Amino acid sequence: MANGVGELVVKGVNHSYGAGKLRVPILYDIHLHIKNGEFVALCGTSGSGKSTLLSLLAGLMKPEDGQIFVNGEEISRYSENQLCQFRRRSMGFVFQSFNLLPNLTALENVELPLIFAGESIRSRRKRAKEMLELVGLGERITHKPNELSGGQQQRVSIARALVNAPGIVLADEPTGNLDSATEKEILQLMRQMNRERGTTYVIVTHDQEVAQQSDRVIYMQDGRIVEKAEKPA
Amino acid sequence: MKLRTALTSVGVMIGTAAIVAMISLSLGLKENAVKSLENWGSLTEMEVAPSYMMPDQKTMRPPDQIKKLNSTAVQELKQVPGVSAVMPTKQLYTDVTLKLGRREANLQLVGVDVQESKNYKKEEVEKGTYLEGPKNEIVVTYEVPRQMRDVEKERREARKRGANNESSGGRGFFPGPGGGEGEGQTVVDMVGKSATLVLTREYYIDNEPKFERKEVRVRVVGQLKKEDRGRWWGGNTAYVPMSLINELNEWVNQDGGRGSWGMYGDDEGTTRIKDRNQKKEIEYDTITVKVASREQVEDTVKRIQNIGYEIYSPAGALEQINQFFFVVQMILGGIAAISLLVASIGIVNTMIMSILERTKEIGIMKVIGASVYNIRWLFLMESGFIGLFGGFAGLGIAFGAVELLNYLGQNSDFLNQFGGGGPMPDSGPTKLAIIPLWLSGFAIGFSFLIGLMAGIFPAFRASRLSPMQAIRSE
Repeated sequence: MANGVGELVVKGVNHSYGAGKLRVPILYDIHLHIKNGEFVALCGTSGSGKSTLLSLLAGLMKPEDGQIFVNGEEISRYSENQLCQFRRRSMGFVFQSFNLLPNLTALENVELPLIFAGESIRSRRKRAKEMLELVGLGERITHKPNELSGGQQQRVSIARALVNAPGIVLADEPTGNLDSATEKEILQLMRQMNRERGTTYVIVTHDQEVAQQSDRVIYMQDGRIVEKAEKPA
Repeated sequence: MKLRTALTSVGVMIGTAAIVAMISLSLGLKENAVKSLENWGSLTEMEVAPSYMMPDQKTMRPPDQIKKLNSTAVQELKQVPGVSAVMPTKQLYTDVTLKLGRREANLQLVGVDVQESKNYKKEEVEKGTYLEGPKNEIVVTYEVPRQMRDVEKERREARKRGANNESSGGRGFFPGPGGGEGEGQTVVDMVGKSATLVLTREYYIDNEPKFERKEVRVRVVGQLKKEDRGRWWGGNTAYVPMSLINELNEWVNQDGGRGSWGMYGDDEGTTRIKDRNQKKEIEYDTITVKVASREQVEDTVKRIQNIGYEIYSPAGALEQINQFFFVVQMILGGIAAISLLVASIGIVNTMIMSILERTKEIGIMKVIGASVYNIRWLFLMESGFIGLFGGFAGLGIAFGAVELLNYLGQNSDFLNQFGGGGPMPDSGPTKLAIIPLWLSGFAIGFSFLIGLMAGIFPAFRASRLSPMQAIRSE
């Protein structure tokens, strides 16, 4: 299945939380260009602003200042509804705490984005099943999240992120809650999906292992991008 | 389903059950009231009388404008839209005995216009035919053949019994077997047979009362079906052509004695009376109109009143009953609706709780692409189904309650009387409460609607959550 394109451009973004005297600046003048199909790690200490940057890229927040373009479209000017459609169409999310809906089975969790996209029940069942097989969970589609291990849950959540065939997958500490063996598996899976499907990955991480595996690592410190290190293969 | 949700549904259930039970009770009482009204008299047959008031009900009619119940009136009433038949009648103002062989019965003689009443009564004939025109034909009601008694035999038997039981005197007064109304009723086959009408009149000569008897030979041509509703003249009645009644009334009302009267066929007498009848117009005692259907009764009654007649219709009372029970329904339903209102607040509460609890889920759904409408729809449906579920459960309870009420109603004299009229022999057991299909549909639809409405506010609240904040909440 062909995935969408995923090119991200950030131009002069400033962002802060709070207002008035309590205003805390988070991001200063961020410029960024992530090419289609890149596997990028976003590293930095806590409070460096990397999660905020990810939320801005996801269209979950609007930047105070500056522009964000996805495939040439300025999402920073989208309305709530447009953002919603944009996320449904072009974005996949993987979270540190998996964020699966506890009352739904693995299959239903993967189906969810397709339900919101208004797909017919037969086609979404089929696509969700295929996706779960692809991430190696073909056997466990009727299990609820609490019946799955952490690694398995993260696989479900990757399947959910990919089922809409988005151009970009944004991941927030995807391996943060996993033991190192599982972490390797998950990382491998994401790399494999990146290579096979050409999806762009932006992964926020503390983890050197993840950084090592990436095409590129972007370091952040105190709200600024401090160094862009092309990692040697 | 969560206990919280189930309990919220119970609230809706109680509200729905209360509304349905209340409305079904008032519907049942209304039905009973209408039934007892129908029992009192057919709702489509009404008697017409001249009105002494103008249509505004304030000014008196000038005497020359008071309608007369004559053939003009019959024609006029026939023209009124909605009237399907008009039957003028005139009674004989004295008792008549009908003799057939050795049996006899007292009855009321009613004269009808043969042509006019034919459409009216034709379908009520059980045996034989209806009046065809000849003056000496009579049609008897269902009761008459059952009331014919062999008076001579009864007297003999009574005497005999009186002799045998002298010690227990007084028993002899009671009519013997065959004479009682209930026991050993014999049905005399009368149709097609000749019978004799015996009339007696009282007149005074020099303040001395004198009695005169008159016998008229008639032929019984038909017998009517059992009347489903007892009319005021019901029971022992025989219908005869109007012309016969006019002649007999002439005879009853004449002054002085005329000597013995001949039987019919006495050419001289008949001619004489005919000459007299031509001089003055026939006026009827009553004119009864029949309306085509129950729905048309009220309009037809108004039209008849507008052309200057008094008409009493049970339908008028029906309208009042309808109004009364509409108010009763509104009050009972309104009281029950309050409990549903409380239940709907319960739904709002449950939904808000549920949203607080699922803030994170809502956030996740928004992040993975749920639109504002998706979220709203989700929560509206959830609260709608809480209502719907409660509605079905409540309807079930209401059906149970109504069954119980009707069961009690059938087994209790008090409740029977409360239901009005008591059970009719042919109308089945009295039902105190009824749930028509529309009420069931209304209850289900309304409870679903209540759920939906209660969900509007929580659903909007849920859809406005910021995905960023929602996803971070734990």
